Amino acid sequence: MSGAILLEHYLVLGALLFVCGAVCMATKRNAIGVLIGVELVLNGAGVNFVAFSHFNPAFRLEGMIFALFVIVLAAGEAAVALAIVLNFYNNHTTVDVDSAEELKG
Amino acid sequence: MQFIQDNPGLLFVIATLLPLVSFTLLLLAGAARGVLRQHQQNPTLKSLYELLGGDVTGRGPAYVGLASMVLAFGLSFYGFVLYLGDYPVHLHHSTTDEEKLPAKVEVAEKKEGEEEHHGAGKNPQAELRKKHRLEGWEGSVSWARLSFFDEAGTAAAPGSELRVGYYIDHLSALMFVMVTFVASLIHLFSTGYMADELNKQVEDHEVHAADGHYKRRGRFGRFFMFLSLFCFSMLNLLLADNLFQIFVSWELVGICSFLLIGFYYERTSASNAANKAFIVNRIGDAGFLIGLMILWTYLGTFNFQDIFQQVRAPALDAHDESIALAGTFVRFHDVEMPNRREPTKPLAGMKIDQKAGPNVLLFHADDHIHGDKLKDGVTGTARSAVGHERAPSIPYVWLVVAGLGIFLGCVGKSAQFPLQVWLPDAMEGPTPVSALIHAATMVAAGVYLVGRVFPIFTFDALLVIAYVGAITLFVAATIAVVVTDIKKVLAYSTVSQLGYMMLALGIGGWAAGLFHLMTHAFFKALLFLGSGSVIYGCHHQQDMQKMGGLFPKMKITALTMLVGVFAIAGIPLFSGWYSKDAVLANALSFFTLHREHFLLFVLPLVTAGITTFYMFRMWFMTFTGEPRDDHVYEHAHESPWIMTVPLILLAILSFCVAWGWPIYKADHSWLEHAIAASQPAAVENNWQVQIDAHAQHGANHGSYKDMVHESHAMAGYLALGVVLIGLAFAASSYLFRFLDPAESKEAFPGVHRFLQHKWYFDELYSVLIVRPGLVIAHWCRAFDTYVIDGIVNRVGSANLAVSRWHGWVDKYLVDGAVNLVGNVTLAVGLWLRNLQTGYLRSYVLFLVLASIGIWAVLALVVAAAP
Repeated sequence: MSGAILLEHYLVLGALLFVCGAVCMATKRNAIGVLIGVELVLNGAGVNFVAFSHFNPAFRLEGMIFALFVIVLAAGEAAVALAIVLNFYNNHTTVDVDSAEELKG
Repeated sequence: MQFIQDNPGLLFVIATLLPLVSFTLLLLAGAARGVLRQHQQNPTLKSLYELLGGDVTGRGPAYVGLASMVLAFGLSFYGFVLYLGDYPVHLHHSTTDEEKLPAKVEVAEKKEGEEEHHGAGKNPQAELRKKHRLEGWEGSVSWARLSFFDEAGTAAAPGSELRVGYYIDHLSALMFVMVTFVASLIHLFSTGYMADELNKQVEDHEVHAADGHYKRRGRFGRFFMFLSLFCFSMLNLLLADNLFQIFVSWELVGICSFLLIGFYYERTSASNAANKAFIVNRIGDAGFLIGLMILWTYLGTFNFQDIFQQVRAPALDAHDESIALAGTFVRFHDVEMPNRREPTKPLAGMKIDQKAGPNVLLFHADDHIHGDKLKDGVTGTARSAVGHERAPSIPYVWLVVAGLGIFLGCVGKSAQFPLQVWLPDAMEGPTPVSALIHAATMVAAGVYLVGRVFPIFTFDALLVIAYVGAITLFVAATIAVVVTDIKKVLAYSTVSQLGYMMLALGIGGWAAGLFHLMTHAFFKALLFLGSGSVIYGCHHQQDMQKMGGLFPKMKITALTMLVGVFAIAGIPLFSGWYSKDAVLANALSFFTLHREHFLLFVLPLVTAGITTFYMFRMWFMTFTGEPRDDHVYEHAHESPWIMTVPLILLAILSFCVAWGWPIYKADHSWLEHAIAASQPAAVENNWQVQIDAHAQHGANHGSYKDMVHESHAMAGYLALGVVLIGLAFAASSYLFRFLDPAESKEAFPGVHRFLQHKWYFDELYSVLIVRPGLVIAHWCRAFDTYVIDGIVNRVGSANLAVSRWHGWVDKYLVDGAVNLVGNVTLAVGLWLRNLQTGYLRSYVLFLVLASIGIWAVLALVVAAAP
């Protein structure tokens, strides 16, 4: 059974995706890069939902629906975030997130 | 009209209220002017202000006051005529006693008798109407209900309510006519005399301001306002049927006197004189109040007739038999309980002792008394409400004190010894005021009141009254001899004449005293107005040492004043002759009965001569001889008609007001008989008791009337002789100048100085009363400053210290804690803001780290859980 793919494998994959996304968000200065990190985080979570849905019959329906929600939200979020980035670019001629510091305390 | 016919007493009530109306009008107008003066920029208000007289009133107020007085005089006179119709005066008393109507109560009794007599023959309706009419001379209404004292609580028990009412008899009706007449003339006179006050700016030459003489607005309206208030108060005093109403009026005339003496209140002397008059009168009024309290406590009523009915034994008992002690105070011992202080004793143990019994029996209308027993013991049932087995009584001592208390009030008001000091100072007021208030009417109120309450005076009280009068008349007359201020001469002569009246009342010459009051009112008002005319003509010069030889300049004033001088001196056929002879005749009768009281006859007799001397001295110094001051003489002039007409009218009355028929008989004065018609029965009772006591020593004097009649001739000759001596001295000193007044002054320097200092009364009072009073006042002030203020200040500073400490706590502890919280919050916030860098990546880093941290904590917790 060593070839079988178990829940843990999915969880590790989700965690890897999440950590990659988080590191991407924390390190990228390019706003597009940050968005990519966000997508990675969301998809890491999505993988988890689907995995639980698959391996736990109690969560079959809910896991699917949450995964679908995540995908839809990711799409919406990407649209909004890109619009913000575009506007930011229009105003600052850059997409460096470090230059977006006007709201600091 | 029929209503007035049925209630003729209301004429006098209306006459009383008229001056009140004029006072109210003047007061409102004056107050309105005072308010409007501030708002003259508004054209409507300005025109209203102008309508009310503007800055200067014009003579309007005088006309209002004069109209009210003339109308009041008309009503009083009409009322008096109506009264004479009901109660005629019989000139010749010698015929029968029945024709005389001595007192109201007896009149009522007699009237019932008459009705039985004539009732069958006459129209009963007319009889009823007449009875109703006779009751219309008195009446009263409830003023203040104090409480219900009887058990049932339905009817007013005695001592439970104060009433206002009117009681008219010959005396009050005559007084009404006199007061309203004199007041009318004085209003007229004042219209001229006070003309200076009509100016927009009056310069008071006796008050010095920083820039010359003091200047003020004229006070014409105010003068007549006060005068109207005075007239109302005085008439109300005469109208009253009870002591309390008199007391109220008494205080009102007092305040009017105060206001008018201090009319020129910018002058220190005037305001001091006003204070002096007011304070001295308060001393008297304290006595008056004590008297009122005693009477109210024991008798439970202030009504004169009720009081007299209670203190004096009735003439008839319950079975129409005459009572042995009728008309006297029934004094009794209690033999069973002699040491009990309570005045109410069982009837059976009572022992009548007219000389020394400590209690006086009180009689009530519903008492059942047996007359024959009133000699050695009383049987009867007392009042129905309380104490059937007890006799209501008043301790004799309290009755004396009550009488003396009321008399003390009269001493103050009538300026008798020892309270005579205020009246001469009261001459600071305008002269018409001196004439009206301080000569003719108000000062006579004391005499009037003594006459009114005569039946409550015991023999002891009457003796005090007589001696006070005798001392006063002599002291004042002697001072008048050396006074040179024309008004002060008249002031002292007023005091002296009031002393005559008091003396007459004290010795029992009731009618004589009040008769003298009437005639004196006329001739003294005349003399004062005359002096006012002289002062006015001499441009407010009052010192006789600067006058002289004024006769050609002011003939009317001089002649009318001469009439007044004749009257007061007692020259035959002038009014003063009749009244002074009546007083002296009574004094002689009293002297006949009581040889030990010879002073009560000698002093008035001697003083009659002194009076003549100083009055003629005044007239000679003013009007005859060489002018002493050319400046005054050159500017002197006769007063306008508005001032001389009152003089002439008063002169006519001073001459003939006391006439009777035949004129030359001093005891046939109609006026005296009219006054005597309202004489209380107590007067003759008193005399009869004294005559009876004297008869035990073997002398027989018959009745009081016979005795006075006999004394009249003797007293008349003696008085005339003394008067002629006084006249001779005055004429030789001041008219023909055989004697030089300066030489007699030098001959008796001590006497002169003594008299010039007015017997040192002011100095004595200053040492005895005023200065100790001031010392006590200073003590009180020191106590106030150091103790009361000290306590207040200490409390204040203690409070301040506590507040300071409290402020410190508030500032540093409470506020400190609050600020600390704020500061800490601020510091934390400032520190935390560093975290909010604005760098997206650092936020993400925080998020991640935080998540890891939370998970780590959770893992630890889960691991630690058992």
